[in-house]
Amino acid sequence: MESDGTSAEISPDEATGAIALIDGSRSWLASRVIAPGWYHPAFGLLAGGLIAEGEARSWALFAWSVVGYTIACGALAWVNQRRVRLQMNYWFLRTRLIFAAQILTLGLLAATACWLDLGHGVRGLFLAAGALAAVATVAFGRWTDRALRAHLRTA
Amino acid sequence: MPAPAQFDEVVHAPNRLQICALLAAVDSAEFATVRDGLGVADSVLSKHVRVLHEAGYVAVHKATFAARVRTSLSLTAAGRAAYEGHVAALRAIVGATAGQLEAVEPT
Repeated sequence: MESDGTSAEISPDEATGAIALIDGSRSWLASRVIAPGWYHPAFGLLAGGLIAEGEARSWALFAWSVVGYTIACGALAWVNQRRVRLQMNYWFLRTRLIFAAQILTLGLLAATACWLDLGHGVRGLFLAAGALAAVATVAFGRWTDRALRAHLRTA
Repeated sequence: MPAPAQFDEVVHAPNRLQICALLAAVDSAEFATVRDGLGVADSVLSKHVRVLHEAGYVAVHKATFAARVRTSLSLTAAGRAAYEGHVAALRAIVGATAGQLEAVEPT
């Protein structure tokens, strides 16, 4: 069914219309994979809760929190995956960099709270770090959404 | 390396072009997702998927989940090459026209 590859088959107007169809499909796809409004705040609450829980100074509670955090994150991702009903590679250069920056930020917040609280006896820092981690997680999540949207429109 | 420009009549039909555009950006998509993206009935999508499948451009996968059969679609390597070649051909047509316009229109 293929032709010889020349451009004689269709007019420039038809070609422009076909490209517009492609762009429209990609825009629809980009809007579909963007996470719903509750998604990133839910991750933010989980990350913030995990760090804020350090205020309790219980290693057993912390260990269980890590388990709960891991399971809850997996469940959230699964629910979102069921919503969009497609499989794709979310890990390209820009999203990897954003994720690395997010991990670094949360790690720095937790480490700073540990250092000041456990090393210098400053109280309440885990709660503050948890609140900042929640906000940072939402911000990084929305940044990832923007990167995904741009990637899908040009893929 | 960009795909060589190659007009493909199987891909060019509007609904099939949209199917390929959606599938080219993902690993696979459920039938219902593609149907929603095109805004067509199941029967219409089935017809176009069958044409793409018979051309070797789309693979159809069926999996049972919670007692329901879910059908997912993905582009084959041949389908991806055909789609990319077709898009390159479309861009070449549009680009050639734009070039001709620039040549005759004063700036």
